[in-house]
Amino acid sequence: MSATLQLRIPNRIEELPGVSEAVEALGQEERWAQDVTYAIVLGLEEVATNVVRHGGGEPGSSEIEIEVTSSDDEVRIEVRDGGRAFDPFHEAPEPDLDAGVQERQIGGLGVHFVKVLMDETSYSREGGRNHVTMVKRRS
Amino acid sequence: MNVQVENHDKVLVAKVEGRVDSSNSQDFERQLQGAIGEDVQAVVIDLGQLAYISSAGLRVVLLVAKTLGQRNVSISLCALSDPVQSVFEISGFNRIIQIYDSQADALAAAG
Repeated sequence: MSATLQLRIPNRIEELPGVSEAVEALGQEERWAQDVTYAIVLGLEEVATNVVRHGGGEPGSSEIEIEVTSSDDEVRIEVRDGGRAFDPFHEAPEPDLDAGVQERQIGGLGVHFVKVLMDETSYSREGGRNHVTMVKRRS
Repeated sequence: MNVQVENHDKVLVAKVEGRVDSSNSQDFERQLQGAIGEDVQAVVIDLGQLAYISSAGLRVVLLVAKTLGQRNVSISLCALSDPVQSVFEISGFNRIIQIYDSQADALAAAG
């Protein structure tokens, strides 16, 4: 059994809560564990927020395509956008997890969450579009 | 997302409810910073009713911790659900901000 959710949203932050809601609804139907749902909603928000903030172009000027496929043993999340080429897994700054409160910088935390919480991540540039894939195993 | 504020003498308790994400983190920052008065000696952020937080919300917690640290005001968090706790652990924030199991524990330490 598998189920797929396909969404196409304008590149605006305000669109993202609707994406989270739709993904949580899929998770309920597919009976994902609570921590699996949290990881997927978080990973998708972090990647999509990066696209909106760093992809270039005015908010609402381009589209982000999202596809979430839930099968028995894993959930595959794909995000495609036409913004400037940006590989979040290699170009985002690494957070300094050992810095104190005053020294600590916030940059790169979203991508760090994705790397830690997902079982597989990959990036490619295809036909002038960014393509991020994340895989979360269900157990 | 909603922030409710209670004053326990010079300790301010801010209860955060709902979800904090990239779409409402600026509002979260305004509500939290706006709630912290001049004469506060300690701040306890109660996350017992927080269902979800992403890096955008953690950024706000760090900014508030930095501001309070410069004023020598202590900050602690309490009552985190398991998924929220794991996000704080992955970020390393649990090593730089005190986290208590309950609001009572946090108040006892702050008082």
